[in-house]
Amino acid sequence: MKPISQSVIKKDHLAKASGSAIYVADYDPGQMLQGLILRSPHAHARILSIEYPELPKGYFAVDYRDVPGINEVHIVKDDTPVYANTTVEYIGDPVMMLVGPDERELKRLLPQVKVEYEVLPPVIDVRDGDTVFFDYHFGKGDMDAALAQADQIFEETFETGYQEQAYLEPQGLIADFNQGKITVRGSMQCPYYVHGALAKAMGLPPDKVRVIQDVTGGGFGGKEDYPSILACQVAVAAYKAQGKPVRVIFGRREDMEFTSKRHPSLCTYKAAVKNGRVTALDAKVIFNAGAYTTLSAVVLQRGIIAASGVYDIPALKVHGQAVKTNTVPNGAYRGFGAPQTFFAIEMLMEHIAKASGEEPLAFKLRHLVRQGDETSTGGRYHFPVPLPAMVEEVRQMSDFDQKRRLYAQPQSGTTRRGIGISLWFHGAGFTGSGERDIIKAVCRLHKFPDGRVEILASQSDIGQGIKTTLCKIVANELNLLLDQVSYDNPDTDRVPDSGPTVASRSLMTVGELLRRAAIRLRSQWQEGKDQTVEEHFKEPDFVIPFYIDKFQGDAYPTYAWGVCAVEVQVDTLTGFNEILSTWASFDVGTPIDLNIVTGQMEGGLLQGLGYASMEQMAADSKGRIRNNSFSDYIIPTSMDVPLMKVKLHVEPYPDGPYGAKGAGELPLVGAAPAYMSALEQALSGPIYHIPFSAEDALKLIKQSRRAEA
Amino acid sequence: MNQRIAFKLNGQSVVYEGSAADRLLDVLRQTYRLTGVKCGCNEGECGACSVLIDGHLANSCMVAMGRVANCEVTTIEGFSQTKRFEVLERAYAAVSAVQCGYCIPGMILASECVLARHPHPTETEIRSGLSGNLCRCTGYNAIVQAIQIAAREGEGLW
Amino acid sequence: MVNGFSPATLKEALEIRARQQVIPYAGGTDLMLNPNPDAVYLFVNQIAEMKRIVQKDELLHLGAACTYTQLLEHPLTPAILKEAIALIAAPAIRNEGTIGGNIANGSAKADSVLIFFVADASIRLSSLSGERVIPIKAFYQDRKRLDLHDDELITEIILPTQWLEHYYYKKVGARKALAISRVDFAGLMTVKDGRIKHCATAFGAISGVILRRPDLDELLIGQTLAEASRLKAAYLASYAEVIAPIKGRVSAEYRKEVCLNLLEDFLNSNGIR
Ligand SMILES: Cc1cc2nc3c(=O)[nH]c(=O)nc-3n(C[C@H](O)[C@H](O)[C@H](O)COP(=O)(O)OP(=O)(O)OC[C@H]3O[C@@H](n4cnc5c(N)ncnc54)[C@H](O)[C@@H]3O)c2cc1C
Ligand code: FES
Ligand code: FES
Repeated sequence: MKPISQSVIKKDHLAKASGSAIYVADYDPGQMLQGLILRSPHAHARILSIEYPELPKGYFAVDYRDVPGINEVHIVKDDTPVYANTTVEYIGDPVMMLVGPDERELKRLLPQVKVEYEVLPPVIDVRDGDTVFFDYHFGKGDMDAALAQADQIFEETFETGYQEQAYLEPQGLIADFNQGKITVRGSMQCPYYVHGALAKAMGLPPDKVRVIQDVTGGGFGGKEDYPSILACQVAVAAYKAQGKPVRVIFGRREDMEFTSKRHPSLCTYKAAVKNGRVTALDAKVIFNAGAYTTLSAVVLQRGIIAASGVYDIPALKVHGQAVKTNTVPNGAYRGFGAPQTFFAIEMLMEHIAKASGEEPLAFKLRHLVRQGDETSTGGRYHFPVPLPAMVEEVRQMSDFDQKRRLYAQPQSGTTRRGIGISLWFHGAGFTGSGERDIIKAVCRLHKFPDGRVEILASQSDIGQGIKTTLCKIVANELNLLLDQVSYDNPDTDRVPDSGPTVASRSLMTVGELLRRAAIRLRSQWQEGKDQTVEEHFKEPDFVIPFYIDKFQGDAYPTYAWGVCAVEVQVDTLTGFNEILSTWASFDVGTPIDLNIVTGQMEGGLLQGLGYASMEQMAADSKGRIRNNSFSDYIIPTSMDVPLMKVKLHVEPYPDGPYGAKGAGELPLVGAAPAYMSALEQALSGPIYHIPFSAEDALKLIKQSRRAEA
Repeated sequence: MNQRIAFKLNGQSVVYEGSAADRLLDVLRQTYRLTGVKCGCNEGECGACSVLIDGHLANSCMVAMGRVANCEVTTIEGFSQTKRFEVLERAYAAVSAVQCGYCIPGMILASECVLARHPHPTETEIRSGLSGNLCRCTGYNAIVQAIQIAAREGEGLW
Repeated sequence: MVNGFSPATLKEALEIRARQQVIPYAGGTDLMLNPNPDAVYLFVNQIAEMKRIVQKDELLHLGAACTYTQLLEHPLTPAILKEAIALIAAPAIRNEGTIGGNIANGSAKADSVLIFFVADASIRLSSLSGERVIPIKAFYQDRKRLDLHDDELITEIILPTQWLEHYYYKKVGARKALAISRVDFAGLMTVKDGRIKHCATAFGAISGVILRRPDLDELLIGQTLAEASRLKAAYLASYAEVIAPIKGRVSAEYRKEVCLNLLEDFLNSNGIR
């Protein structure tokens, strides 16, 4: 283990443990006003009129007419209105905000706001969708020839459901408009995204917009784009409040029902097999985007780039669509499109292997990509692919082969066991050329005369420990004590734009920038002087330029790798299935802090296992999401995975700090197929969708019994 | 409606003047500004609002003020002044069990209750003791380990 | 004006209950889901008479204000009740929640109540004007319709313990802790000298009220295991007819199938094959 990997006490540990850390809901209400959002009860309707009741003194209403700039939230394509003006596009679409000092009074007044709608027909099921927001095609090799020459052709459709980030701290922001300047602070991942959105909606120049991140109680992607929307809404309210700050804190139900989630997907995969090898894959990937585009373009891109998984398949045809429905807009969630396609490819490989009587793991291993191979987009796997060694580790830890053989024997009693394994990667950092062309990260180090150093960057610590790891890097290069390096929650008035806290990029990309900055500072170090150094992003030389219009080139400079085995037990009377154990090996390069990285891996893995099973969420025929509380949207408790063993496999990345690469998202991405592979063994039947419920399991048990009889 | 409800809060005698039907969670956060008590759901499902009532773990969002009359309520702010907290906090630090931190005040109080009941807990006893405290960040492993460490290091305290 | 009463004795509590409109508050774990700031609560959690656990002959008297934790830790609590309680919610809820509240909440998903049903327990209802002891089954008139008068409190549950030793219990929830029942089943069977002395079953979470049909269970009582095995199909069929789950988070078909699976497994585990 490198010295840098040695764990330290996290910078924010004591404040959080003792309860003294201040989250946005914790600020003294004092003179602050509260805001309550009125949302559309219809999935699709035209707004005919909005009528306000007589409001008591100190209370006022805010709607699209109050937006001082442009009534659009800047995300990627700016089709999300700050407040709906002509139509509402999903149940929950914000129509207006009621603002005033007392929450109870707001709750009493809100139902008195009368909005007249002309109800329009909604599209709820993505299969009925006729508005395609994004439509991408790419491929390589000779698909027609491969299909023509195939011994066998497999075609299967896979479906995945919503997943809710379920961060423990709900969304919340405070806005304050003072002397021509808007300040927004609160729970968020990307202060500069919020900054950009505010400038547009408020019609203000960048220097009249200030965004501050507060201690944030989890994000997982859920606070990547959503705070931009909420920020604009609260800012408009603050603009009207004339000097009084306005705060909006969501309740759990509001948060679960109306904020972005993981895109449900429908993947139809067709594979050609010749001489026991998959020679071609034709993948059609459909993501349910919801009502507005928000981040769907980029989520879909990452999803389809991973369509062929970790396998070397010579002919590839990929077609991805993000389709509009009149449901809540889906956005970022840890894994960003990849969990959906990894589920599809991993299950397809399982099924093809089984059909030919081969053990899925052996079959998969025969198809693995290797260093130097071409990626799905004609880029290169520039660095070693450590999967074979990682599979070996997981095999050993889990006693995989023996259990797999044992559970293949007929089982008696009222329980069935199974064990399964999955393999995956996660492209480290932004997809494609985003880092070079759009983000253009900048960061600074400020050295005080007394020798202390402050990091100036826009990364948000949302629990992943970036405050600690970035400081460790700088302290290490400058030979300082960790205490001598500080990193405050970003404030756009003080820090440059080093990019958002997304895409597993912060440590790899910004960490490396800071490392280089620290080296420069060391070389210019002058005792007793106040000094600042600045560093700009530069794409590594080896990268094959990526063109998004053609999906050609290196979509990622490097990859993090994952292998996971899951052992399950199913109750044949109830279908209830439980995880007995799970083992995983993850390669995220050099861990900058062993504990922190292990914590990321364990937490992400558990989210991935929840995604596969208990985390059920659906829109009903009217487009309403009913799983809007922790009693209806079930996430794992401490009891649900009694044994989880995670090992780190280190394949250092030369262009990341000390060999580190992207870590945050990886562990979630491919956990579901391992679970489903185990269930397939236990239930002796094929699985095509997640989340897979007890009811599904019971159906499959009956099906396979009938098949046997 | 207003009435006087006397109770002990973090070791101090206090009298709350308000409705007996008010939520303990709201009163702790708003009246006493004890914001270490978090609100994650307001319906008993997450444990972020955990406090101790006469030493027992309770979800303060599910407790009416009248219930705590003459009782002793301890929040993380009070508990963090104790020796036991110190041991727990160091154990949490040793395995970096704190990520976003939102569940942590509740988790630490739940940990205290695990150890108060089982000074040498098995892993199952720990997991069962934490089962009402959701954590979305850690996957629970580190928290379980922290309690095991605290049980070792805090010999005699529990 | 006060809106909360914290009596220390039952008598005081009943006096308040007789005098004015109050909402009994035991652990609050159901009530506080929809808190009403203007409600007037009668806190019963500090009434010693309502927290007692006493065995008298074959009857176990459980105070209605006993919390789950208290029962879990008590040596007199029967194993079947402990098993059901251990699966209710999580420690913090079990520390506050009471069996009286579980009963008076009126839900068919109430896990401790299922045990009271299968055991044919009675409950004591007290008021200033006297008390009544009625079978738990009679207390539940319909979904959320209870035989509880405005001036009454549930003061205790009287649990016959004679048949509780040989039991079968299974709760099906969405996860291993902190889960509301989707199906809840309990069965009691005592076999002596080759004959079924007692058979009782109850199904929770499938309809408005917990399903308990002694008339159907009657079929097996007094039979030898061999005879019971021959009657098994008829017995299962009679339940298939009366189990009609309402639609919920999981489908009615699924719930029905699980009920019948569990019922059959209950018979199997008693040697009725
Ligand atoms: C997160 C969570 C998880 C839960 N999980 C479960 C579970 O797994 N299984 C389960 O069965 N329940 C569960 N519940 C529901 C609840 O905890 C139980 O029903 C509990 O037993 C209620 O008891 P209480 O004392 O808290 O009731 P309270 O909320 O105090 O009262 C409930 C009702 O009963 C009335 N009442 C209470 N005591 C009396 C009395 N002595 N006489 C007359 N009326 C009275 C009250 O007026 C009220 O109408 C859960 C609740 C929560 C919040
Ligand atoms: S806020 Fe009380 S349990 Fe979630
Ligand atoms: S540390 Fe974030 S929820 Fe537990």
